[in-house]
Amino acid sequence: MAERPQVAPAARNFGRDETGDSPAARLARLKEGDTVTAHISRWDPGTEPAPRFETYRVPYTKWMRVLEVLTYVSEEIGGDLAHRWFCANRMCGTCAVRVNGREVLACWEPVEPEMTIEPLRNAPVVRDLVIDRSGYEQRVSGLVPWLERREPYRGFPEPLTHPAMAAADKALDCISCMCCFSACPVIGLGDETKFAGPAPLVQLARVALDPRDGIDRGRIALERGAVFDCVSCYKCEEVCPVSIPIVTGSIEPLKALAFKSLPRKSRHARVFLAIVRSRGRIDPSALVLGVQRLTALRHPLRVLKLWRHGKIDPLKTLFGFRLPDIAQIRQIFEAVRGGSR
Amino acid sequence: MRRVAAEAVVIGGGAAGTFAALELHRRGVKPLILCKGLVGKSGASIFAGNLVVPGRLLGNTEQQARDTAEFLIRMHNHFLIDQHYARAAGEWIEREYYPELERAGLYLRRDEHGEIVTNEGPVRCMAAHSQGESGVLFMDLRRKQVLQAGIPWLEETAATALLTEADGAIAGVMALDLARGEVVAIESRAVILATGYADRFYPRSTATREMSADGIAMAWRAGAELMNLEIQWWHTSDVRYPLCWQRTQVYPNPIIGSSHSARLYNSGGEVFFDQEADAPIAMGPYTLQLKRLAKQVLAGKARFDGGYYSGFNHVAPDVVTAYTDYAKAFAAVGKSVASDTLETACSAHYRQGGIVVDPATMATRVRGLYVAGGVGGHSNGLIAPVTYDGMLAAETVATDLPRLKSSALPEDKAAAEEARLLALRRSLPSNGVAPAHVKRALRSVMSEKMGFFKDAIMMNGALAEVTRLRDELLPAMGLANVTPRLNYTWLDAIDVVNLLDVAALTIRGALNRTESRGPFYRTDFPEMDNANWLVKNILTPTPNGDVRFRTEPYELPFFKPDFVRRHSLEVDW
Repeated sequence: MAERPQVAPAARNFGRDETGDSPAARLARLKEGDTVTAHISRWDPGTEPAPRFETYRVPYTKWMRVLEVLTYVSEEIGGDLAHRWFCANRMCGTCAVRVNGREVLACWEPVEPEMTIEPLRNAPVVRDLVIDRSGYEQRVSGLVPWLERREPYRGFPEPLTHPAMAAADKALDCISCMCCFSACPVIGLGDETKFAGPAPLVQLARVALDPRDGIDRGRIALERGAVFDCVSCYKCEEVCPVSIPIVTGSIEPLKALAFKSLPRKSRHARVFLAIVRSRGRIDPSALVLGVQRLTALRHPLRVLKLWRHGKIDPLKTLFGFRLPDIAQIRQIFEAVRGGSR
Repeated sequence: MRRVAAEAVVIGGGAAGTFAALELHRRGVKPLILCKGLVGKSGASIFAGNLVVPGRLLGNTEQQARDTAEFLIRMHNHFLIDQHYARAAGEWIEREYYPELERAGLYLRRDEHGEIVTNEGPVRCMAAHSQGESGVLFMDLRRKQVLQAGIPWLEETAATALLTEADGAIAGVMALDLARGEVVAIESRAVILATGYADRFYPRSTATREMSADGIAMAWRAGAELMNLEIQWWHTSDVRYPLCWQRTQVYPNPIIGSSHSARLYNSGGEVFFDQEADAPIAMGPYTLQLKRLAKQVLAGKARFDGGYYSGFNHVAPDVVTAYTDYAKAFAAVGKSVASDTLETACSAHYRQGGIVVDPATMATRVRGLYVAGGVGGHSNGLIAPVTYDGMLAAETVATDLPRLKSSALPEDKAAAEEARLLALRRSLPSNGVAPAHVKRALRSVMSEKMGFFKDAIMMNGALAEVTRLRDELLPAMGLANVTPRLNYTWLDAIDVVNLLDVAALTIRGALNRTESRGPFYRTDFPEMDNANWLVKNILTPTPNGDVRFRTEPYELPFFKPDFVRRHSLEVDW
């Protein structure tokens, strides 16, 4: 991959007002007559060994979006820039690219004065900014995310309230744009994990959290979605263009369903609970060891890196730290367990 | 050239096409979907913001049922619709359509007590999940139903020609697989065209990127008749900036859960359209909005391409945000739906006319060619009736298939089409012109001479210009890069031929209709003329490639206009 030109990274979806990254603040930085500089990744894998960046200068028009830059380049200067889009209205979810390293919808994202534009990650590039969506689509359909009714349909309109649909409601905003799928570091691990990825699990959550659905979605989340491989890093929520609470609203509820359905196979949840029960709080290296067992040691460099960054502390794990109030925490466990019986 | 065979081919992956495929599958016919974009993602069906409550559904009164039917026939089709078809479609929508969607899982927005949320008023609508986003959920459901049924599709594969036998019957479809850059020949005796209601003829359009009159062009070349091409609808309140948001609408329809809707303001800040007061029956008051705007343009207080404003700042913000996504455009440009308006402009929307079909069967006069949805001339492309079309077309194909004789692909015609496509993928000659520039030249002609205000002189000028573009620019057209792989400029070159041909036919149709009707307006014939022009304006291909015109009257069994002639700007539909 060609080296990406150094341009200030865009802030995340969170805290945009505070960081001066709100649409209003960003649009105020540009005025008509200005020029937008775009370093765009170009690559024809059929004929070229590696992607390269080409720089284009595009006249700014009022409230300009990244899609307009791409269209201008393909029609006026680049001649043949391949980029996919259909609706230009935040609906079809096909125009996602990375701007300054972050996943965005080209049709919805305001331009930056200077920006890099690259294809999404975690999918093969067909040409330039267009990725092959088929791997993603196979993961989605592998989770059979269509309603399988608990009871026969009772005719229109069926009895259903909005509060009953509230848990599934936010997941219904998903437009399968693949922004989160591209940003997910677990998907980035490739074949090391069978994790289905954030958006496919949002698609699953749509039906899993729908009160009308009747099949064992916890089993699907676990066996086909490897839902416990989610590391709750929230990269998906940071980039979601429609602000779906992917981890808290879809993945965590699916984990709960998986644990409820297959507690013995939900190793991650069991180890997690056991650690908290014995130590009073989670210990990352104990968790990794408990879940992955010896395979966790297959990547010693990764272990060292995690240690160096303070993500794990094997010494603490080894010497078995415990919170002083552990007795109280165990009482809570007993109370919860008693209550759930 | 790759070869494929299918019992039936459905061209188009929107509401009409997917339902036709599902219905064929249900009837034991094995269809293949050919989609220029991505099934359920490309095409205009995702834009369906509102789902109309027909008949006596959800407690509609007899009067509301009648108003809803009248809304479809008068407001939406200006009486250019077969009323028996409209009635049958309405009954099917009430009886089959919503139950089928809900059974499959579509969530129609409820309130806390379980009531489906609708607007108040004579014509009501509901929403799937959120008003403005209904089509997205709807098409996501259709995509999954097609996947679940295991119906094969070729995505990002553009149909380029219908192949016919010596006797004129359909023998197959030619297509371009865009990602691979490969020509595909599909052998099939039955084709359902479902390519949608819009084309990107104008600088601003509500159509998705790939919609470029392909269905109409292919059907015409295969011998089908066309009608009412000139009845071009406009969206009056689409956001003007950013320039790519041509379909981002400040919806004029009533907000569900209320009786309120957006207002339009001229450059001086005066309200010139308020749906609540001006058009209570007009669920989609597009034509009335357009006529009000035209008067503002004449008064110098707005332009068709901007200089007027739309918003909800007279409505309590929680009413706007309770069940709709209408705040999204405001937020994305740093504005507030509670206090701000946005500058709006016109975008070309539905084409009311299209391919001539028998509205009882969806058959065309070409044996083996059927139509579903907005590409047909029988109706304008609302999402529920187009789904009915899909059902009807599938039913007819399933019945006809045993009678359609099997035949081999006409090799000479397939080879000629492959050669035509490959010839369009040539390098840009010196002094050559890129396909995108030809598209832009066409759009500029259409916007200058075929906009709302036009007369015979302007239209003849437009026809001459389009002819010049075809004769002079097409031979000079070439590509900056001739890679076969995902070459959108190659696709543009294919599109532009269709666009130019259909633009010329549309202008000729417009010249032939010597009246004004609905959104179609001529300054030299400003009256709506129900004595002479409440008819189908039909174009028939002649053997030498020219056009012959004829008209056919409509039956008016249930609703009829209450005047013979009136100045069109004074009529509210």
